Order: sequence, then C-alpha cells, then structure tokens
Amino acid sequence: MNETLYVQLLNLAAGAFLLAAVLVLWRRELAVIIRVFAVQGAALAGIVAVLAGHEHSAELWAVAAGVLLLRATVLPVLLLRALAGAGTAQRETAPLVNVSASLLAAAVLTMIAYAVSKPLVDLAPSPATRAIPIGLTVVLIGLFVLVTRRHALSQLVGFLLMDNGITAIGFLTTSGVPLVVELGVSLDVLFAVLVLQILTTRMRATFGDTDLDELRELHD
Amino acid sequence: MIGAVLQVIMVVGGSPLLLGLMRQVRAKLEGRAGAGIWQPWRDLRKLFGKEAITPRRTSEVFRYAPLVLFATALMVAVVVPFVTTRSAVGPVADLFAVVALLALGTVTLALAGLDTGTAFGGMGASRAVTILALVEPTLLVAILALSVRVGSTNLATIVSSTLDDPGRVISPVTLLAAVALLVVIIAEAGRLPVDNPATHLELTMVHEAMILEYAGTDLALVELASAMRLTVFLGLLATLFVPWGIATAATPAALAVGVAAFAVKVGLLGVLLAAGEVFLAKVRLFRVPELLAGSFLLALLAVSASFFLA
Amino acid sequence: MTVTMVAFGLALGLCLAAVLAAAVSPPERRSLVVGVGTAGSGVAAVVAGVAAMAGSGFSLVLPWVLPLAGVRLALDPLGGLFVAVVGGVAAVAGVYGIGYSGHGLNGRAVQALLPGFVAAMLLVPAADGVGTFLVCWELMAVTSLLLVLAEHRRRSEVGEAGLWYGVMTHLGFVAILVGLLTFAAHAGSDSFAALRSAHLAPALASVVFVATLVGFAAKAGIAPLHAWLPRAHPEAPSHVSALMSAGMVNLGVYGIVRVGADLLGGGSRWWWPLVLLLGAVSAVYGILQAAISSDLKRLLGYSTTENMGLVLIGVGAAGMFAADGNRALAGLALAAALLHVVNHAAFKTLLFTAAGSVLHATGTRDLDALGGLRPGMPVTTALFGMGALAASALPPGAAFVSEWLLLQSLVHGLPPSGVGTAILLPLAVAAIALTAGLSVATFVKAFGVGFLAKPRSEAAARATESPRTMLAGMGLAGLVCVLLAVAPMVVLPGVGAVAGGVTGAADPVVRGAITLELSTVAGSLSPLLLALALLAGVVAAAGAVRAVGARHARRTARLWDCGGGPLTARMEYTATSFAEPLQRVFDNVLEPEDDVDVTHARESAYLVESVEYRRRVPDRIERRLYRPVVAVVAAWGRAGRLLATGSVHRYLGYGFYAVTGVLILLAVTR
Repeated sequence: MNETLYVQLLNLAAGAFLLAAVLVLWRRELAVIIRVFAVQGAALAGIVAVLAGHEHSAELWAVAAGVLLLRATVLPVLLLRALAGAGTAQRETAPLVNVSASLLAAAVLTMIAYAVSKPLVDLAPSPATRAIPIGLTVVLIGLFVLVTRRHALSQLVGFLLMDNGITAIGFLTTSGVPLVVELGVSLDVLFAVLVLQILTTRMRATFGDTDLDELRELHD
Repeated sequence: MIGAVLQVIMVVGGSPLLLGLMRQVRAKLEGRAGAGIWQPWRDLRKLFGKEAITPRRTSEVFRYAPLVLFATALMVAVVVPFVTTRSAVGPVADLFAVVALLALGTVTLALAGLDTGTAFGGMGASRAVTILALVEPTLLVAILALSVRVGSTNLATIVSSTLDDPGRVISPVTLLAAVALLVVIIAEAGRLPVDNPATHLELTMVHEAMILEYAGTDLALVELASAMRLTVFLGLLATLFVPWGIATAATPAALAVGVAAFAVKVGLLGVLLAAGEVFLAKVRLFRVPELLAGSFLLALLAVSASFFLA
Repeated sequence: MTVTMVAFGLALGLCLAAVLAAAVSPPERRSLVVGVGTAGSGVAAVVAGVAAMAGSGFSLVLPWVLPLAGVRLALDPLGGLFVAVVGGVAAVAGVYGIGYSGHGLNGRAVQALLPGFVAAMLLVPAADGVGTFLVCWELMAVTSLLLVLAEHRRRSEVGEAGLWYGVMTHLGFVAILVGLLTFAAHAGSDSFAALRSAHLAPALASVVFVATLVGFAAKAGIAPLHAWLPRAHPEAPSHVSALMSAGMVNLGVYGIVRVGADLLGGGSRWWWPLVLLLGAVSAVYGILQAAISSDLKRLLGYSTTENMGLVLIGVGAAGMFAADGNRALAGLALAAALLHVVNHAAFKTLLFTAAGSVLHATGTRDLDALGGLRPGMPVTTALFGMGALAASALPPGAAFVSEWLLLQSLVHGLPPSGVGTAILLPLAVAAIALTAGLSVATFVKAFGVGFLAKPRSEAAARATESPRTMLAGMGLAGLVCVLLAVAPMVVLPGVGAVAGGVTGAADPVVRGAITLELSTVAGSLSPLLLALALLAGVVAAAGAVRAVGARHARRTARLWDCGGGPLTARMEYTATSFAEPLQRVFDNVLEPEDDVDVTHARESAYLVESVEYRRRVPDRIERRLYRPVVAVVAAWGRAGRLLATGSVHRYLGYGFYAVTGVLILLAVTR
C-alpha cells in the first residue's frame, strides 16, 4: 500500500472511530446510540484492516473480519434486542449531566488524552502510534458515559466504548495483538454483554426498571 | 479588480437564484410543483416597487440597518476569494475579519428589531444574539484549525495552500473543521434545524421576528442581503474545503472557470442543504446549545488533530 | 530637564493646584476650576507619557521627601504608556466633571479628592522604588475609596460598596506589601534597578510573584478577586467610575507586567499559564455576568473584569512565548494586550460617562426602566452607540483591532509549542471567542434596550440632553475611540515598542500605515479600509435603492398592532427578558435563584389570585467563595466582642499588656 494513502486511510478510520464516540454523547435516543456504536465497531475494523493491508498480514485481516462481525453486528444486535424488550421508558438515555456539558467535558477529556499520551507517542512516532490519543479519548469518553448515564443499557454502551478504545490502543501500539489474545478478549466481551443483558432483564423483571439510581434503595 | 466585480455580480445576482433553487428542490421532494427558481427575483422586483414604511418612534437604527446589513454582505462578497485568489483586497481583511463582518450584519438587524419596540422584535433580537454568541467559539476555533498549518489566517493563502496540496482535504483536520463549520453556518444563516426561514409562528421565529416591521424597498434589501449571506456562507464553505476551480491567474479563461466552479459548488451545496432540510424539524431553541457545543467539540478536535497528527 | 519631566511635573503641579483651588474657591466656581485643572493635568500627563514612550524618560531621586528610602521617580516607556492612558482618561473626566458635579457633588472634599486621585494614579507608574510605589499605591486606594463614598448620604448601597472596596483593596495592598518587601529585603535595596539585578531563588521569586499577583489582580478586578468591582464602580459618581474603570484597573496590569516580566525577568514557567488561565476565567465570567445584568453601570463594571481578563490572556501568552524563547511572538502578544488596555480605557471612559449622562437625565441606571432615549438625548445616544460598537469587538470598532492582534499571536503560537501550550492556546482562543460573542450580546442589550425603542418609564420619557461640558467630555472620548478604531497605527508603533522593550523582541511588531501588517508572522488587516468600504457599501446600497425603487417616497406610519390599539411599553422586551435565553443556556454556570409565590383566592384553593415571580442571579463565585470567609470573620468579630465590655480602663489595660508582653518577648528572645 502507498504510504500516504495508508496514513490518510488510517487517520480517516481513526477519525470516524472518535466521531462515533462523540455522537454517543450527543444523541439521546438509545436506538441511535446503538447504531452509532455499530458504526464505531466498523471503524475499528477499518483501523485493523488498514493495518493489515499495510503489514500484509493475513492474520490481521482475519482479526479485522472478526472485529467487524462481533462489534459491528453481533453486539449491536444483542443490544437492540435488549432495548426492544425494555419498553418505552428506556428509549432515551437520561444522562445525569446535560448534553452540552458532557460534550464540553469530552473536549476536556480529549485534551487530557492527548497530553497524557504524548510521551507514549514520542517513544516510537509512526502514523499508527500518533492515533493512540484517539483510542485513549474513546476510553475516557466510555468511562464518562459509564459514570453519567442512568439506565443500565446506556452504561453497557459506555463499557463497550471503553473496550473498543482499549482494543484500538492495543492494535495501534503493537500493530497486531496475537490472534489468540484478540479472540479471548472478544469472547470475554461477548460473555460480559450476555451476562449483563441477562442481569438487566432480571432486574427489570424484579424492579420494573433499570434506572440505577433506584438501586440505591437496595442498600438500606 | 475584475475578480472582485465578478464576485459581487455572482453573489448579488445569484443569491436569489440559489434561494429559488433550494425552495424548488424542497418543493419537488415534498411533492409540490414549486414556484420556480426565479420566484425570489420576482418577489424582490415587486418589493422594490413598493414604498418603504418607517414606523413612528423608530430611530435611524431602524432606517439604516438594511443598508448596513447589505453592505456587510457585499464586503464579504468582495473580500473572500470565491472566484479568484488574485485579489487586490487580500491584505485588507482575513478570515477573522470576515466572520466579524458577518456578525456585524446580525447585530445591526438585532438592533433594528429592538428599535421597533415590539415584543417580536425584541424576541428575535434576543434569540439571534444568543445564537451568535454561542456560534462564535466554534467559528474561531475552526478557523484556528484551518490556519495553523498554513501559518496564516489570510483566505487567499489558505485556498492556495489547499490547491497546492489537494491531499489535505481528506485529512481528519479538514473534515472535522468542515463539519463544525457546516453546523455553525447553518445556525448563522438561519436554516433548519436552528431557525426555519419559512415560519411566522411566534414560538419559532428568529430572523423573521426581527424584520417583521420592514416593508417595501427596506424589506427587499433585507431579503436580498439575507440571501447574499446564505450564498456567502455556503461559498465560504466551498472555498475553504473544495477550492478547486478558483482562479489563481488573472486570465479570462481561468476567471470563467472560477465563475462556473463557484456557481456549481454553491448550487450543489444549496441542493444538498435543501434536500437535508426536508428530513429535519426545527429543534427547540434550548436544544440549539447542544448542537453548537457538539460543533465546538469537533472544532477543538480539529485543532488538536492538526497539532498532534501533523 | 527633559520635556517628559517638565510635562510630568506640570501634570502633578496642576493636580496640586486643583486640590488647593477646590479648598479655597467659592462653590459656584469650584467644579469649573477643578475640572479645568484636572483636564489640563491629564493633557500634560498624556504629553509626558507619550514623550516617555518615545524614549526620553527621566529618573529622579528625592531623598528628603519620604523618610528611610526617599522618593524615587522614573518614567520609562512602559510607565509612560500607563501615564498617558491615565492622563487621557483624566482629561475626559475633568471636562465631564464640570457639568456632572452640578448637583450634590460640589462639596469641597469631593472636589479636592478628584485631582488627588488623578495625581496618585499618575505617580504609580512613575514610581521607581518599592517605598515610593507602595505609598503612591495606597494614596490611590484611599482617594478612590473616599470618592466611591461621595454619595453615601443619598443611597445606602454606597456604604456597602465602599466597605467591600475598602476591605478588598487593603487586603490586596497587604499582599503587594508582603511581596515587594520580601523582594526588596532579598535584593538589599529599595530601588527598582537593584531589584532588577537581584537574583532570587526560584521558590522565593515565585512567592514574590504570587503575592503581588494576588494584590494586582484584585486591583484589576480579576476573578475571583473581582467582587468589589461591580459594587464600587457603579456606586461611584460616573466620572470617578470612568477614572477607576478605565484608569485605575489598568495599574493592576501594569503591576503584573512590571513585577513579573520586568523586575523578576520572566521567572518560572508556570507563572504565565496561571496568568493566562486567570485571564480566560475572568473574561468569560465577567462578560457572562455583564450579559445578564440589567443595571447599566454594573454591566459596565463587569465588562471591565472581562476586558482586564482579555488583557491578562495577552500578558500570559506573552510570558509563555517568552519562556519558550519566541521573543517576537511574545512582543506581539504583549502589544495586543497593551493596545487593548488603551482601547479599553477609551471606550470604557466613553461608556461610563454616557451612562452618567443617562443617570443624570433620568435618575436611574436600571435598563428595565430605560429605553426611548433617542429623541430626548440624541448626542448621548449616538456616543453610547459608538462606545458599544468599540466595546463589542466588531469592525469598525477599537476592540476588534486589539482582539484581532491577540488572536493572531495565539494562532501563530500554536505550531512549534509544547503540549501545555497546545492545550492552553485553543482554549484561550475559545475563551476569547465566547467573550467576543457574549460582549456583542451584552452591548446590543445595553444599547438596544437602554436607548432605542419606547421609554419604559416616565423618567426615561422626559429625559433631556446633558450640559455642554458633559457632552464635550464624552465627545472627546468618542473621538479617541474612532481614532483608535480606524487608525490604530497612530498608537501601535509606540505600544509595540513598549512591548518589545519588555519582552526583548527586536523587530517592530507591526508595520504599514493604512494596512496593518504583522512583521514577524504572516497576517494583515486594514481597519481604515474596512471602515471606508463599509461606508462605501452603505452609500452604494442607498444609491442603488434610490435608483431601483424610486417610484414611491418613504412613508411614516403607525406600528402594526394587530388592530388592538397602540402597543405599550409594557409589551416590549426588557433587558431581563432579552438576556433570558443566555441565562438559561448558562444555567449551570450562573445558578440563578427562582422564586414563585402563588396566592390563592379565598373562596377556593383552585383559583389563583396572583402569581409572584422573582429571579435573582447572584454572583456565584461570591456566594461560594466569599460568604464562608465573611461568615468566619463575622464569627471572629462576635468572639472579639466578648473582650469589649465597655470599660475604658480595661481597653487601656489591653494596650498596656500588649506593650509589656512584646517587650518581655523581645527581651527573652534577644
């Protein structure tokens, strides 16, 4: 692959990856958010694919296909199914912090991510490592979503965002995690989602709601 | 010099056509016949033939606001290299000045709205300056992102550097800045989903509320200036992000290409915008800050990308 | 004897003469004599300042005036700039004061204090030794405090404002005192020259800088030390407000530049990002409070906080660039900051004096009760409009040029910088942009609601134009505003040279006569041509309209009222309603207090008789930061009252115990 084309494609994929994380903060409807999450999965697969094309590694191509399958199709479908069962009260995310403020917070988080990962990038400057801050930003945004959203389902999305970010950092730093490790991680995530989905279903069956603020009452 | 004249002719003559084109596209997409793209010109001709009315107890501000609004749009049409970068007025104003000039237009109209002393006038003015205040950070940070790697905020310099290195256009910096600018331009030009130019419903009006008291030639001037502002905004977007076709030499052929390219680009942008508006509803005024905060974030990301990815 | 020295001496002499004249002249002539003296002194000070900026400074030691160190005076270009600014404001305030003092402000003390205040402000930038500086600073604080209290018999709020100002300015003074005396003690001398050559340990230098920064920031009205400013500036007589808001606050900036950049020579890296952050926070917070304020003079006071914040952004950026070794860019940033000081002085003088005229004519500062002043006060309206344009950072206004320069320095500072700069600079640009946007909203509100449309009260409807001397003072300020807006090149080379001298930038910052071109980086702007083009555009449009649509003449008609009878002033948008959307957008920052009282009819709880709605937007920083401190101090005060029983013998006894205790302590420890 041509070097400039490689850099541009990588940057584009990374940009889309970040943009999807921002859109998760921006939009309120959970259905849209889950679709955006699927787009992010595709962007992640894109990053891996670009790296694969650059390194001519069949293994990475396989990982890219796996990422696409799991994160752009399987997980969103699972989430959408959970949403469909959740009833009308759960359609919107009901954040604890209002949207404008969380977008501004995301701006600050981006700056922090860039500042923190600068030494890391300087260790081995290459087009791939320069995109590390983006991965870190997505991790931070995921954490932010996890902290500020009320419904269990939107928190799940936050968790998955974090995982996407971590995976992206992994690929960008090492240009390729061993296939076995990636498979293991993916399997973990899949299980985590399944378990959480079952948990939320149970919670709803028991309490009629998955608003985590109400779980506080369990404490007493 | 000839370039500047061409630009003025293009903007003044073409902006009502752009408006007509956008309305026609909307009409077609909504299954209506539409009035044809010449309708805004016909409206303007009618309005120019009617007397202007000054409400009692209004001051010079109300009288001269349409003229100032028109003059600011005209100045931007001269200064921005829409058709050619070879302009003698290049050093007079840069991107910051262009943004400030367009803001000046909004401000004069807001003052005119307040000057009438009606509830609508005040309401429109209040909303317009609120949006203006929130738009400003995004605009300036996006400008920062675009000018950092060029090392200048001069428009001609930015355009020619993009022309020299076309690969830049699909870089993350440019794309993020483009999206951010698109959002704020929609807000500033008073299009959906921030303001609905076709409404006269008191709860939703912004621009229309400020100009309710204008009639005749005054109204014609305001309408023409608003159309020019839309053209100028879309032209700015086209010039900054799709600069191809802009003449870098002063030959007649290059200028002709520049004129044609400008018409095509702005027309295309207008059609896309109109098509997009069919699917949009106006958002509540108090949801607008969310939209603008989002675009601000994108602009800031563009700046950091220009610094860290470069 | 240089021309600088003569002019400066003349300025001080005229002030002194005015003080004496105020004491002896008959009441009906008093304001005229004092006004002329103050104005003359201002003009002389402008001459002295400009001459000092041109390089003919002076240095003077008068060992016999003060005990211990004596008085050291010197005027270098940096000091000259601030002397010139103060002089300009004083000239306007002097002329304006002649007419303004007509009612109730003609007392001997108030009239004598005004030139005294001016003299103190002129002496601060000319001080060349720690002792002299501190004495002049305190003189300035005391005279201004007494002037703030001038109208305390008429309004009870004046007393409270004076208390806030007095306490805060003296706490600030203590901070400066501690900082400068520590500095002088380690340098081993009182004179600034010795301080310059002294090498302080970095930790000690930081202590000195932070202590003085606290004091100077309090004087400049920088958040969170701004609480006195929106209280004291509105309550002072308007020409004193102008002197304080356009003259005195600048000296806080002067102090920061003098101590941080000049005496300490740049110092540690972290100082300047701190200054920049303080500036950014003040700019945004100040203009946000101004945007929702409906008291005209309070709005202007908050706008002062905003503008000083912008200046500090420039100063901080200059310090950061200088620390990075980029001297040329540091010169540009500092020049932008200093130009903004000049611009702000011009338009704030104009705005405060115009607000004073409104107060003079209507007796109110409440924007919700103003409006419709255009027919009665055409000149004041036009002048306030000019000031508002200059203040709102739009072309063709004065602030636009300085903010443009500031933005240029920030844009060009980004590429080669480190991570910290890369994060701070975009945020600074965003802060400037938000400030610019909000200041537009603020001044559209102040001008549009305050002066245009229909009068909202009887007093506003009856308003008539102010006396000629007031108009002359305002006109002078307006002229300067226009000059600075269209021809900034008149002052920019001088300002640039001052900035270059402080930062060590070799080249001139800008060149060109009509088009302003940055010399070290790419960038150009022509305020004059922009203004002319705007004028030409307006004329062309008017001509074209006349040519195209000449068939019918313009007609005056009743405002369209849906056939429901004439619209009343109660149907208009007020300043509060105008700012409501902004206030709602920034709800999280401002935390307004809403209060709804519903009174039910006696017959049934379902019928509502009246609904009362109150909203207050208290200063949030004040509530969070000051209230606990004030509460603690008050608690201490109550505890202290236990000691005061009313017995004089006991009080004398306290003194006796204290003296002997100290003596014993000394004897033991020595």
